[in-house]
Amino acid sequence: MSSVRTDSFKSADQLSEPVREALAATLLSLADNKRILGMRYGEWILGAPTLESGIACSAMAQDEWGHGRILYATLKDFGLDAGVLEHERPSEEYLSSELLDSTIEEWPDLRALNLLFDAALSVQVEALSNSSYEPIHFKTRKLLEEERFHFEHGRGWALRLSETAAGREALEAAFRNAMGPSLRWFGRSEAGFGQLLEAAGVSAGDPDFLRQAWLDRVIPVLAEAGLEELAAEFEARSEIDWSGWNADRRRGGSGGSGGPDAETLARIRGDKNRSMLMD
Amino acid sequence: MGHLSGERLYEIFARQKREDRLEHIGTVSAPNPELARVYAWKTYDEATWFEMVVAPRDAFRSVNRDEVPFTLHPAETV
Repeated sequence: MSSVRTDSFKSADQLSEPVREALAATLLSLADNKRILGMRYGEWILGAPTLESGIACSAMAQDEWGHGRILYATLKDFGLDAGVLEHERPSEEYLSSELLDSTIEEWPDLRALNLLFDAALSVQVEALSNSSYEPIHFKTRKLLEEERFHFEHGRGWALRLSETAAGREALEAAFRNAMGPSLRWFGRSEAGFGQLLEAAGVSAGDPDFLRQAWLDRVIPVLAEAGLEELAAEFEARSEIDWSGWNADRRRGGSGGSGGPDAETLARIRGDKNRSMLMD
Repeated sequence: MGHLSGERLYEIFARQKREDRLEHIGTVSAPNPELARVYAWKTYDEATWFEMVVAPRDAFRSVNRDEVPFTLHPAETV
């Protein structure tokens, strides 16, 4: 981890080309994941187990869409058109996790996204909060403040579901399913985008550092919820399968070459009523 | 107000400025204090609060009445 920054960058054009590309891809990955995660939270506004949890899903959906919007706008500094990024890309150009490709049918699976994957995104954002790329600083603050409550919501529900054997079993299955893609999302240990960003002081740590930071955050909750065996599996990183890994899109396994399904894509892009958008 | 088994009612108090007094602003139903905090913050987000606190309703003790604290007038009961 780089604790002392020697250089700082006021705009993207001051970054070397490989670092600029790696940072743009990281910001786009965060934006795409948050856009779709927001939609997944939003799908549970009606249908969550209690009115309060429906309201929480609604609030988290708004937060994620807000974060996505801010991150897409940040990419203007990299010469990218936010309008094109938000509305005109095909599925295979989305840098989103395979966990988000289609609607989440079961509440425990949404809990896994909330506690595990949302926290993975936050660890990456946190690593940019003292970045040598200065324009990102003030944008991370509000975002991380809101994310504290997302994590607490994930933790609260993990504790709630783990009160019964059936709930614990459902939670364990859902968490195990999300473990691989979440661990993998930070990237490989060998040289790649994460190492470039760390070396330039843009990100506070390389993929292994961030993966460990994420584990340090989620493992205590698994232990609190009585899922010690699963916590040990997380710690051992036994579920990381790099087959099908697409480093550019930060997704792998059988979902490595996939993308958001047609319905998801139409909704996140706002296709249906685009004709209503008049200049 | 009815609530699910395993859930408790939590009373929410908040103030907008340090010089304000905490005021009772509402209630949420939650299975644990962790979720009570999140639900309170996300449900009662109409102001930028300087401070918000939650406590289980059953932690309150009535000082002058026999009925349980926060009992509404019968006409207000939902």
